[in-house]
Amino acid sequence: MHLKVKATNLSYKINEKKLFQNISFALFSGRAIHIQGDNGSGKTTLLKIVCGLTNQVKGDVELKIDKKICYLGHKNALKQYLTVEDNLSLLNVVNHPNLTKYLNEFGLNENLDTNLSSLSFGQQKKIALLRVFLNDSDLLILDEPCVGLDQQSQDHLCTFINNELRLGKSILFSSHMPLNINSEVLNINS
Amino acid sequence: MNIVKLELLKLKSKSRGWLGPILVFILIMVAFPLTIEVSNKELGQSFFSVLWIAILLVMMLATEDIFLEDFNDGSLEQFAISDINLSYLVGAKIFIYWLLIGVPISFLGSVFCMGLTNSIYLASHLFPILLITSYIFINVFSFGNALSLTKGSVLGTLITLPLLLPLLIVLGKAVISINLNLNYLGFVTLLLGVLSIIIFIAPLIISYIIRAHLE
Repeated sequence: MHLKVKATNLSYKINEKKLFQNISFALFSGRAIHIQGDNGSGKTTLLKIVCGLTNQVKGDVELKIDKKICYLGHKNALKQYLTVEDNLSLLNVVNHPNLTKYLNEFGLNENLDTNLSSLSFGQQKKIALLRVFLNDSDLLILDEPCVGLDQQSQDHLCTFINNELRLGKSILFSSHMPLNINSEVLNINS
Repeated sequence: MNIVKLELLKLKSKSRGWLGPILVFILIMVAFPLTIEVSNKELGQSFFSVLWIAILLVMMLATEDIFLEDFNDGSLEQFAISDINLSYLVGAKIFIYWLLIGVPISFLGSVFCMGLTNSIYLASHLFPILLITSYIFINVFSFGNALSLTKGSVLGTLITLPLLLPLLIVLGKAVISINLNLNYLGFVTLLLGVLSIIIFIAPLIISYIIRAHLE
């Protein structure tokens, strides 16, 4: 087991209002951390700090990863005016050997020529999840990955994440729903 | 996410983004001689003022949402965490905008110049100046739009437009020099100097501004 992320005494505040204080955790390869907390407690901010999108007020984040970070936030980074296939080509996953398998599992194989704007929120979320499923990174950071997903897709996601953990990947995610993922819980309320 | 592929797909699917500014430019240049009743010679003299202002407005229009869409849909977040430096991505995006909008407008500007001044010499010498100028304009307006990313493009334009006024003076002098058959290379060198600085500095500053917006 290798150390992938080490966060020490992370603190963050907005306009003098403290979001969280002195959060420390260590994420090893093959392990997952489930970040829990109330609305507005700073779960998204904490994930963004680990990604490097936001700077912490205090503390330190040490990343020891060989490949890039795969991040899925609240925004899907998909283009509404492009077809599903064009969006997938932007993610550079069109020629991925497992693409057809996941499209079938998500029931999207017949929507390749459909404009993204014609798809429902849940279907768009599934397209965004393909970025995670077909990624080549050793650290996955997922912010509420199950929002908008039906039960079957949630199960696919949990199975996928558990498989990735067995392959040695590290996963940091936040979710309000209890998920069937082998993970440690980090509650940032306290 | 591949930024070149993204912009080319945009070109294919959202033609109003690049065709709109070009059509507005054509409309201004066609409408301007219709609004005044003057002889050909006077038309040629006032042509350049209209040309520079038209290019300025069209570049402003073209870059209005250069980063806004990517900011709103989360693409900028993905660019920011990718292993490629964000300033390279910003520079590439600005270059593609110039290629798709700046270059055609520069070409059309030369064609209109030829039509209204009846001078191939003037039009051929104007073309490189237009290419350089449009690239500078796109960089400066992109900076303004990055500054006011979440506040609307008007604020960014108000901040950046005064920065371009000295450039308009240089452009006016360059055209006078070409018209009088004087050496105008000094002005071109000055424009190239401005471009060579701005081409590196603008993407760097814009990338810092975008990171600040993403926080």
